[in-house]
Amino acid sequence: MGLGKFVEVGRVVKINYGPQEGKLATIIEILNDKRVLIDGPTTGVQRQVIPIRRLTLTKFNLKGATRGARTGVITKAIKKNDPFTQYQNTIAAKKVAKKALRAKLTDFDRFRVMILRKRRSALLSTQLKALRKNNAGGKSTAQAKGGNKKK
Amino acid sequence: MPAKKRTVRIGNWYKSDDEKVHFVRKRKAPRPAQLRKIVPGQVLILLSGRFQGKRVVFLKQLKSGLLLVTGPFKINGVPLKRVNSAYVIPTSTKVDVTGVNANQIDDDYFKRTQAQRRKNEQGFWAKRGELTAEQQTAEKTRLDGKRNTQKSVDAALITAIKKTQLLKQYLGARFTIGKTTRPHELVF
Repeated sequence: MGLGKFVEVGRVVKINYGPQEGKLATIIEILNDKRVLIDGPTTGVQRQVIPIRRLTLTKFNLKGATRGARTGVITKAIKKNDPFTQYQNTIAAKKVAKKALRAKLTDFDRFRVMILRKRRSALLSTQLKALRKNNAGGKSTAQAKGGNKKK
Repeated sequence: MPAKKRTVRIGNWYKSDDEKVHFVRKRKAPRPAQLRKIVPGQVLILLSGRFQGKRVVFLKQLKSGLLLVTGPFKINGVPLKRVNSAYVIPTSTKVDVTGVNANQIDDDYFKRTQAQRRKNEQGFWAKRGELTAEQQTAEKTRLDGKRNTQKSVDAALITAIKKTQLLKQYLGARFTIGKTTRPHELVF
């Protein structure tokens, strides 16, 4: 594990506990080894002191965030370079979004998903079969050899 | 100000003791169960009985409080049926029922006829032949009538259902719970 992510001014964090769970914010000031001041004007997080324990650090930084900067300054910095949308494009964020979407599916949606998955899998298997057939010459003899060895 | 004279009629009969009156529950007309936001055309999942897990279309609430539903019959084999709303999960899927006419169906439609009762009286081993000739024809016309009602109600429904993709297959499938399903977390 490298020392990639530091608790520093400008670090984009995700709140993972409490009423603001799931929201992103930036670290504005470090108070002590356990608490920081965060602010997320564009993500609906009020400027607040929060224990570091309740945060997950992301790999993004807010450029232009200075120590103790006020909300207005932060908003301007976000307008210039928005790390929050960058975060939403990461795989981790997409997984969370997918999970939230799946939780909202109605009974009919779930049925449709099931049918579509079956159709996709059927398409894939026919493609796979076609590929296997095309490689039949080389592959099947190799398999036969391998099979004999196992026996 | 002269007070109004209140005349109280004194009866001839006084009770010697305070008799305890046996509590009599006054049976009023059955109050139809409050529909918990179930709308005509909504797809319901039946939870009990022969058609457990089947997804059916809700038509209307009958006077008795029971819900009138239909498969439609051609799609999943559920006929016009009365169902208790307590044994039903309403889903958020709705079918357009503006063309469907279920006005002539009420609780009397589901009453057992004389012939049926007689057949039940005769018991398990009663064969159809044991009904008199006129009873048989009456039965036949009754059943034909029922089939026709079913067809006429379902016709408009099925055309509406066909407009949505996969809805027909959805109604034909049963709702099941697998190992990993968490029913309390499902959104219907």
